[in-house]
Amino acid sequence: MVLDCHVRRRQVLGAVAGSAGLAALTGCGLFGADPEPAPPPDALQPVLDEALTLAMAYERAGLASPDLAARLSPMALDHRAHATELAKLIGATLPSGGASGPPTESGTDALAELRKAEQSALKTATAACKAAPSGRAALVGSIAAARAAHAEALR
Amino acid sequence: MSGEMAAALAAEEAAIYAYGILGVKLTTKGDLTEARSSEAIHRDRRDALVLTLAALKASTAPAPAGYELPFEITDRDTALRLAIQVEDGVAQAWRAVLPVTQDGDRATALSALTDAAVRAARWRRLGKVSPATLAWPGRP
Repeated sequence: MVLDCHVRRRQVLGAVAGSAGLAALTGCGLFGADPEPAPPPDALQPVLDEALTLAMAYERAGLASPDLAARLSPMALDHRAHATELAKLIGATLPSGGASGPPTESGTDALAELRKAEQSALKTATAACKAAPSGRAALVGSIAAARAAHAEALR
Repeated sequence: MSGEMAAALAAEEAAIYAYGILGVKLTTKGDLTEARSSEAIHRDRRDALVLTLAALKASTAPAPAGYELPFEITDRDTALRLAIQVEDGVAQAWRAVLPVTQDGDRATALSALTDAAVRAARWRRLGKVSPATLAWPGRP
């Protein structure tokens, strides 16, 4: 009976996030208030986090050095595209808003910093691609390749 | 898996052929160094694939005697354009190997995809093509 209630609650949670679902939940009686353990983060969450961090770093660098903006903005867009597809794949919600935070260095220092960040993010994506189930391998592989190509383009 | 690997082999063969043709039209020392090292890498990849496919006992179609180039190579610009196209094609072929492999074979495919994307970016930079990168290297 308790088990049945839990199963139903999960199904309800999965199916509807609205008020109808919540109303059904409260009908679960004594055990209805059990805290559900948070699901472990998706293996691709770190790849998604880095895509967003990189996008914002490019956007900040472009704001700090307008002469670099034309070169940097396509790469920022690449990372935004990666974040969008990853979020869709793993069911994450993307934070809204663009670049914020402290201004970065300008000029060659900024390029060197971005390059370092791409190389570190490349390692994450490479490991994630190797560990990914086959349905995800191509997507994550392209992200790794894009990061490597960005690092090259920043030379 | 062997179908995707055979397609990667065909892409590597086509790349080796293309570099042989386009190398003649390159003019700067930087271009030539890049073309030579790219061709050597494609030969290594080709040789490794031949061994892998032999181990899988997969039959591979014999390489055609000649390839049709997508356009005529008349000068440095067309040579660079072909180099970019060739690397994009190699990236595509290797990307398709990722879902059908794991462990060492997947690592090889990923490294081939990544290298091709890096070389494509380098050729775009040498050819002053903007942007120098693609959002999804290897995605058809």
